Amino acid sequence: MTALLRYQAAILLRSHRWIFPLIAYGLLIAVGAAGSSSLAQTLDWSGAMLVPVTAFLTRAMLTAEPDAARACVAAAAGPARAQLATLIAPLGGAALLGLAGVAFDVLTAEAAASPPGTGGLFVKLTAAARHPGIVAGGLLIALVCLLVGSAAGALCNPPLLRHPAAAMLSTLAAIIFALVADVSPASAAITHNTAQAASPLAANWPGAGALLGAACLLAVAWGISVALAARRDNWSPTAS
Amino acid sequence: MRAQARVGMSVDMRLDAVGKRYGVRRPWVVRGFSAELPPGRLIRVTGRNGSGKSTLLRVVAGVSRPSAGKVTGRPHCGYVPERFPGGLPFSGREYLRHLARVHGLRGGAGARAVEEWLERLGAAGYADQPLRSMSKGMCQKMAIAQALLPSPGLLVLDEAWTGLDSAARGMLEAAVTERVAAGGTTVFVDHDPARLAGLEDERWDFGSPGRVTVLSGAAPLAGSGAGFVAGSVAGSGEASGAGSRAGCGAAATAAARLERVTIRLEAADAAEAVERVRAIDGVRVLSVDVADVADAADAADAAGVAGAEGVAGAGGSRGEAAGS
Repeated sequence: MTALLRYQAAILLRSHRWIFPLIAYGLLIAVGAAGSSSLAQTLDWSGAMLVPVTAFLTRAMLTAEPDAARACVAAAAGPARAQLATLIAPLGGAALLGLAGVAFDVLTAEAAASPPGTGGLFVKLTAAARHPGIVAGGLLIALVCLLVGSAAGALCNPPLLRHPAAAMLSTLAAIIFALVADVSPASAAITHNTAQAASPLAANWPGAGALLGAACLLAVAWGISVALAARRDNWSPTAS
Repeated sequence: MRAQARVGMSVDMRLDAVGKRYGVRRPWVVRGFSAELPPGRLIRVTGRNGSGKSTLLRVVAGVSRPSAGKVTGRPHCGYVPERFPGGLPFSGREYLRHLARVHGLRGGAGARAVEEWLERLGAAGYADQPLRSMSKGMCQKMAIAQALLPSPGLLVLDEAWTGLDSAARGMLEAAVTERVAAGGTTVFVDHDPARLAGLEDERWDFGSPGRVTVLSGAAPLAGSGAGFVAGSVAGSGEASGAGSRAGCGAAATAAARLERVTIRLEAADAAEAVERVRAIDGVRVLSVDVADVADAADAADAAGVAGAEGVAGAGGSRGEAAGS
């Protein structure tokens, strides 16, 4: 599995398919940081933006390998393990982006973490360290959103949906659904009651239900993707 | 999966009533195919373009999961696809090093195997070029190298020779012969009948859609070198087992490389027809499709003759009896 992950991570890095998600995520969290009034709110936003970023990074990896190259790897290591590695690599990449996003939010969140007028990296870090709950809550929200984004990417792309237009449109629809629908764990994780949001130093925690729901969703989505990878060895879009 | 493969080492690889179709409303590409793949067997798969050879090879290689039946005891597999487009962001050497690790070769052993096969294929000179810039033949060499790297117990070659220069073609034939001699099973498709001619132990032939017939490559026939018993002993006169045996022998000695032997005999019903075929020396009934035999019997009822067709191999090898 290590060899498969190395191979997939190398494809991800060398194919430059990470550049667009990175730029998009950077822009999105910069906008979020500018428009939020507290660190907890900023972290909500950054977490939510991981849903589209993870979904599209997953799509990028599911379409990176030509059929023949995937077949060679599947013969060597088994199609299920090969597919699993293809799904884990973008999740790992998106997790790195998520961590970078949280770090960015902490360092730029003056409103919540440091009194007005003071500045400096050290001051901001120590201010954040005094409120570990806020950062930990933000990390958990990011985790929920990562899992939901990966599930959306796995369900809306090959081998399930092989036609590029259908795959991209449904990925987009799944992202919007994941962010606004009440039943979505990602939506549940970033929705807080107003009492919580009122205090600038309050931490936002995702509910245990959101975490559990996201984990189950991921397991189902990956399970379907892995099972179909071995049955549909030909992912060309013409086979619909 | 790895544990499964290890358990499988002790038993021969088998295909049990394997079928493949891409969707419930789609036709079967392969249906009800059973075969054994013991170590050291060289198997050629033949059939027209689009008959399902590549699909069967993908099922054998474990790339594709059969829709029906099962594959057991598959050894570690190296697979060369029909076309290997260099769409990956690696140089040839980097790609092979990754694949060596995926095949389970660690560190130095992997790097050594990569250099050895690049050298043998005459590809060491351009192995640092990006895959994207390689020609068809160069890419094909990378695909072949990755399959041979681990000295796999099962080698599956889907027209691996196309696009290669003559030196590499010869090298690949030699490599296959080496693998088989070392106990590796090889299944290959190639449209050049001269490819590994006379060396194959068995031939899987796609005749009617979805149906595969196992033809046994025989020990060399008298004076003919090697090849398949072939021939058409058609005619409804040879009613008895003895008559058929004589016909069979005549065909085998008369024609060195005929395609198949047709045996016609009279029987009261399908079961008896199969029994009769089974009784003939040198013919082993591998599989009988009951529906087909029944159809044949129905059709023959009007004529008062039940027919069964057998494909025979010589010298105690095997054949298949099935109604056509």
